[in-house]
Amino acid sequence: MAVDSNELPQARTREFLRTRLFLRAALPCVKVMLEDDPATKKRFKGVNAVVQFVARNQPRAVGAYLWFEDGAVRVEQGFWDADGLGREPDITFTFASLEKLNDFFAGKTVLPGIKGVSKPALLAKVVRLLLGLKLMLPSAQPKDAAKRRLKLKLTLYMITTALSQYNKGGDPEMERWTAKQPDRIYQFSVEPEGIAAYLRVRGGQTKAGRGVYERRRPFVHMRFHGVDGALAVMNKEVDFVDGVGKGFVRIDGSPEYAANLNDFMMRVQGLLTG
Amino acid sequence: MTEVTGTTWNVYDANTLTQAEIYGRVLCDLAEADSRIVALTADLARSTKIGVFQDKFPHRVFNVGIAEQDLFGIAAGMAKSGLLPFVSTMSAFASMRALEQVRTDICYQNLDVKIIATHGGVSFGQAGTTHHCTEDIAIQRALANMCVIVPADGWETANAVRAAVQRPGPVYIRLGRGFEPTHYENDDYGFEIGKAVTINEGTDITVIACGVAVYHAAEAAKLLKDQDDVSVRVLDVHTIKPIDEAAIMAAVTETRRILVVEEHNVIGGLGSAVADVIAASGKGCAFAKSGLPDCYSEVGYPEDLYSHYCLDGDGIVGTVRELLHREFEADEDWADEF
Repeated sequence: MAVDSNELPQARTREFLRTRLFLRAALPCVKVMLEDDPATKKRFKGVNAVVQFVARNQPRAVGAYLWFEDGAVRVEQGFWDADGLGREPDITFTFASLEKLNDFFAGKTVLPGIKGVSKPALLAKVVRLLLGLKLMLPSAQPKDAAKRRLKLKLTLYMITTALSQYNKGGDPEMERWTAKQPDRIYQFSVEPEGIAAYLRVRGGQTKAGRGVYERRRPFVHMRFHGVDGALAVMNKEVDFVDGVGKGFVRIDGSPEYAANLNDFMMRVQGLLTG
Repeated sequence: MTEVTGTTWNVYDANTLTQAEIYGRVLCDLAEADSRIVALTADLARSTKIGVFQDKFPHRVFNVGIAEQDLFGIAAGMAKSGLLPFVSTMSAFASMRALEQVRTDICYQNLDVKIIATHGGVSFGQAGTTHHCTEDIAIQRALANMCVIVPADGWETANAVRAAVQRPGPVYIRLGRGFEPTHYENDDYGFEIGKAVTINEGTDITVIACGVAVYHAAEAAKLLKDQDDVSVRVLDVHTIKPIDEAAIMAAVTETRRILVVEEHNVIGGLGSAVADVIAASGKGCAFAKSGLPDCYSEVGYPEDLYSHYCLDGDGIVGTVRELLHREFEADEDWADEF
């Protein structure tokens, strides 16, 4: 059951926006891990369970849950509703506040209340899955090529969704920026790996999408060359301008709007790592 | 405007008929090298600038008098006997008074007759609705074998006339009155029959235009960039038939919003030709046509008429702004994917 969280009194606060980004942009990345990482996929084969995350908040709590069905996972906002299935969530992580939940997902040491410790095998798998999300942190520097590819894919998917959620969450500057734009595509792609994600913007609305948007030409297209080049730019190991000079990235389209987008990416990154 | 000096069709002295002047000069150049070229007119040598040709090749000009049906019948006979006739008259006469001759004598036999139709659209503003021609593109593109070209300005007219000589079969070249603004700086921009010219690159919307509307569309693109930061692609689709399907489909898939602007009834002209291409493709887009809204034109100065029918820069800007906000997708799903 989805909760209209934008209606909550604190909806426009920084902390709430962080929660929104973690639950709606970062947490869904577990889906990619289950699909793309063979070890994770194998670990969750045959798993059927519901794992819920709840942050206490007034006047009502905020939450999301993972619904595993034979190795596949759905990420839903709100709270698990048994809806006749007659079962409670298998595990519930409860955080004392939005801030605690945010810090947990930002990789800081936070101990949530855990209901469901009687299922240690499932708990271990879920904790390991959540720890896998740390792959997106700039400090994570995997050597393995497959891991590096996964890190890049997770980062691109997460950042495009986070940008969209930043707008949907009501950041005033992002709202102003998106409101004046006609239908535009901000495309990210990494060649020759074929990793791609986009942000669609139109008249104040935004949508993050996967792959290459085929129905119109991108207004701005950030073309990264190779996983290593892309990671170097996205992890800020090289300055963006240097990245262009070194051939790691090329921008087709409006440089002004590309710069605007980059500013918003920095802000989103600041919220996720702050 | 100069003085009234004669009968209806030379009411306004056409000494500065830029497009037709260029046509006359280019035709002279071509005739030097090609002895098959002859020029025909129906008592409109001055207005259509065939006078230049007449001075140089007096034995290759035929004035049949005010008899347009004869004009095209004779041209068909000349083409059949190996000549290459260029027939000049006003577009209203070429497309309507002599339609049966154009269709049956020329197009049905796929004869090499080139029709230079001047005073197209509302360019002969003050002469009145009877001398406007806002139906000719629809009529001519429905004739099998006919190639239809609407040049943007004098430079494009020169290119169109040269290309028409090289193309076998009938060609209809629609010109304005001659006082229209010039868009191109010269004729060296890669004109090719059936290939649109990209005047301005853009990704938010495409404005497709022909004739004088090309100049106004380019002006509108500048205004929209400056005022709204909107990126407008402008295509000069000078050839209505055969139309550049690839350029139209690229515009549909890359900008998803299409505005067609033409000095013509919104029914049957360039807008309809573009709509045919889009409909056949099965692709969705936001689409609008600017032109005369299925009515007979008002009488007035051409510039005022362009403004009245939203064919000038400001009018196009207004229509683009409206079109940018139009919903067109049934599946407007703004949920983020994962």
